[in-house]
Amino acid sequence: MIKLDHVSKIYANNTVALDDVSLNFAEGELIILKGVSGSGKSTILSLIAGLLKPTQGDVVVDAKHISKLPDHFCSQYRRDNIGFIFQKYNLIPLLSVKENIALPLVPLNLDEDVLHVKLEIVMKMFRIEHKKDMKVKNLSGGEQQRTAIARANVNDPKIILADEPTANLDEKLSLEFIQILKALKSSHKTIIVATHDPLFFELEFVDRVVEINNGKLVCS
Amino acid sequence: MFVLALLVGILASFFFVENSLKYELESTLDLQPQIIITKQKAGRDTTVDEKDINVILNIKGVNDVLSRVWGYYRFKDKRLILIGIDTFENQYDDILAKITKSTELNVSSMLVGEGVKKLFSQYYYHDYFNFILPDLSLKKIFIAGTFKATTKLESNDMVVMNKDTLRTIFGYQYNEATDLAVIVKNPEEVASIMVKLQNIFPTYKIVAKKDLRITLENRFNSKSSIFLILFIISLFTFFMIVYDKLSGLSSTEKNEIGILKAIGWRIEDVLQARFYEGLIISLSAYVVGIMAALLYVYMLDAPLVKNIFLSYNDMDISLPFIMDYETLFLLFLLSVPVYLFATIIPSWKVATLDADEVMR
Repeated sequence: MIKLDHVSKIYANNTVALDDVSLNFAEGELIILKGVSGSGKSTILSLIAGLLKPTQGDVVVDAKHISKLPDHFCSQYRRDNIGFIFQKYNLIPLLSVKENIALPLVPLNLDEDVLHVKLEIVMKMFRIEHKKDMKVKNLSGGEQQRTAIARANVNDPKIILADEPTANLDEKLSLEFIQILKALKSSHKTIIVATHDPLFFELEFVDRVVEINNGKLVCS
Repeated sequence: MFVLALLVGILASFFFVENSLKYELESTLDLQPQIIITKQKAGRDTTVDEKDINVILNIKGVNDVLSRVWGYYRFKDKRLILIGIDTFENQYDDILAKITKSTELNVSSMLVGEGVKKLFSQYYYHDYFNFILPDLSLKKIFIAGTFKATTKLESNDMVVMNKDTLRTIFGYQYNEATDLAVIVKNPEEVASIMVKLQNIFPTYKIVAKKDLRITLENRFNSKSSIFLILFIISLFTFFMIVYDKLSGLSSTEKNEIGILKAIGWRIEDVLQARFYEGLIISLSAYVVGIMAALLYVYMLDAPLVKNIFLSYNDMDISLPFIMDYETLFLLFLLSVPVYLFATIIPSWKVATLDADEVMR
């Protein structure tokens, strides 16, 4: 389903983030990308999401050459296929929970009723409906994360990408996130989690752990 | 939005005050006779003799000549304009013509403008007023009513009474008048009649309406230069805001665009959202600014700004409501499209970058 074919990424400041990485992810798999900070995990997620273009190599998702897609189609691809949970959640602080979750649906110009139903479902699923009218800046870390997960799932994407999802959470909330991950896995979504949190490495429902170090694949 | 609304409000206030006063000025000038003759003594205006009327009426092209008895009267640091009328005479002024038709003025009554009525009431002169004559005796004149006119600049501080009564107040002799108003049927003949008048009365001052217009406009325009300076400062501030917006978005704004792109928004979706955001902000600022200016100018009577223009006039006036659509359109063009342009261009620059690059 997802294929990274001899991918290298060198940033403008000549930092080599990835060096000839080839990886395959099957549909419905839950993969943990393991590695220290700066190892290149986040770059892999950004490449799969089409947020970055590789310097060399190709990224193919569902037979689509993501790395060659123009910006316009990249956005459309993300909207239809990707749910991204960012490390710092990347929510818009002055908007409410509901407004933040609705953001991916805005360009679709959905009917008000359809939009309402979609939002209610996803807010209930991730237990944030009781805070729906609150500004995001007033939420706790765990609530912000649940809002970010709800936003990543509101368009029912096939692929969920999570970048250091527990980096800003305590252990209790991290375990809560793992339960959410388990639930998502049961809905047959392809999930890739980039993390260095040991909590993820021994989970029985994880299909694979891929280790990255200095932009190179250590084990897959 | 607040700053933009404030700037629109300031600019609109100046425009509204200027438009209202220009309208007043034009209306006042329209009411003036074509030629005014005053007698000079030691270089200062003095009274004319009504006997001169017969001489002037003999000049070909002169339609009518009216003697005007008018002058200023100071009361509690305010300057009132006292005008005398004879109800049987033709009037050179529409307001006076209306008054003579609708009201019977006797020797001991007067009509007052709204400003004068207010002033008198402040000092408990509700029904009458005691004028101090040159010999320091008092003359009681009853207030027969108040009047409104199209131009408040002229009528607000005006007191109209019988000509002979006014002569008594000013200490004029019978047949003495302040000046003479010459009515000429054909405006093309005004210049030649003025030459003839000057030949007949070489020591008199003969002023045409157009000269009066130039004098009044010059006085008004010199006041307008202060307005111009403030206008330029406001405009400069506005373009500083525009330049600041054009020179780049804040890190928060950039991050927001990055987030939107990362969750699947296309460049056109981002620009559309920014367009509507800018439109709502600039339109709201425009509407709020205009409303605030209307409130400030027409409800509160433009304190401070009005005084820049009106300092030559002692009596306070309330500004007439003049809705100038050109001014509104000019302010709209200055605020909404310029602000939208300044919002969209930097957003477009950021939206065309990779989302990852923008968020980093």
